[in-house]
Amino acid sequence: MKHLLGASLVSMIAAAPALAHYGMIIPNDPMISQDDGREVALTMSFSHPFELDGMMLDRPVSFSVTHEGAETDLLGGLEGETIMDDQGYTLDYRLDRPGTYIFAMEPQPYWEPAEDAFIIHYTKTYVTAFGDDEGWDTELGLKTEIVPLSKPFGLWERNVFQGIVKLDGEAVPYAEVEVEFFNEGGDATVPDELMITQTVKADANGVFTYAPPSHGWWGFAALNTADYTLTEESSGEEKDVELGAVIWVRFEEWTGQ
Amino acid sequence: MDRPVIRALSTAALLVAAPIGAAAHQLVVFASVDCEAVTVEAKFSSGRIAQKGDVRVLDGENTLLTETTLETNGTATIPLASVDHSTGLLIEVDTGGHDNYWIVTPEDIARNCGS
Repeated sequence: MKHLLGASLVSMIAAAPALAHYGMIIPNDPMISQDDGREVALTMSFSHPFELDGMMLDRPVSFSVTHEGAETDLLGGLEGETIMDDQGYTLDYRLDRPGTYIFAMEPQPYWEPAEDAFIIHYTKTYVTAFGDDEGWDTELGLKTEIVPLSKPFGLWERNVFQGIVKLDGEAVPYAEVEVEFFNEGGDATVPDELMITQTVKADANGVFTYAPPSHGWWGFAALNTADYTLTEESSGEEKDVELGAVIWVRFEEWTGQ
Repeated sequence: MDRPVIRALSTAALLVAAPIGAAAHQLVVFASVDCEAVTVEAKFSSGRIAQKGDVRVLDGENTLLTETTLETNGTATIPLASVDHSTGLLIEVDTGGHDNYWIVTPEDIARNCGS
């Protein structure tokens, strides 16, 4: 009986749609110094970042950068590129002045049959240029957004990261936030699939806290269901829409003793 | 751009910058350039403008070209015609307690001036 239970559990785990989806904007470096040059290289994708399993990222609805309060449309500059064996994009962006540049993407709705829902992940990342971190706490006013309470770059591994989950500009009490490591080198392993995606809840003020165990890029996705539906073409049925507020943050390797 | 010049300039700048103390609020120095002048900006990482400071302009071989001071709005203007910028410019700002630098490369000048 014990053996059967084990096998049953294994098959349940294998069949479970456990993989978390993430919109991704990954810069070559979130802290560009003048010795690094005058550009940042960005890679955009839609994936399961721990498994390095890419999915189709259609040309986004919008892609922009915000710096010193001014938003610039960069959609036309995206170059198609195969990322994690599927469609993604790249962009080299020139940094003309110091300060924090916030890159943000609204993808097209992604139909996920396994979840019987559409997925829209409003995705962003923060890049600081030339030693000036002003603007690191900028709120863009996206449909849904994680507003950083910790500076979203220059964090040591095992530092906590805190943010406020917002939907339509309002904090979301007890919002669920999924956290996942971008397993860039493919070296990270887990003792249990449940540990691929960590989950924390925000408090009553929409504030969540997480401390990653290692350096590297970590994605935070706060998920809510939209107050509208979209029509799924093949069935003609109205389906729920999962709205994700995604922020990517790189934690740096501790170099002290 | 002559790569060795950039490297020399960067190395020189780093040597200058290396002794800088890690103060709680760092000095952020930036310089933009057009066909007429280099505009130097200095502020602290707190966002406060650096209202006083000495500005030194060196070439790619670390030779001092000119000196000036910050205006109260945290800027200084150096006419391009007043300095030999062919090897790039190293702009140092020293406020007394803090100092930092910015490198203007010949590429920066060419890009913004079209020469």
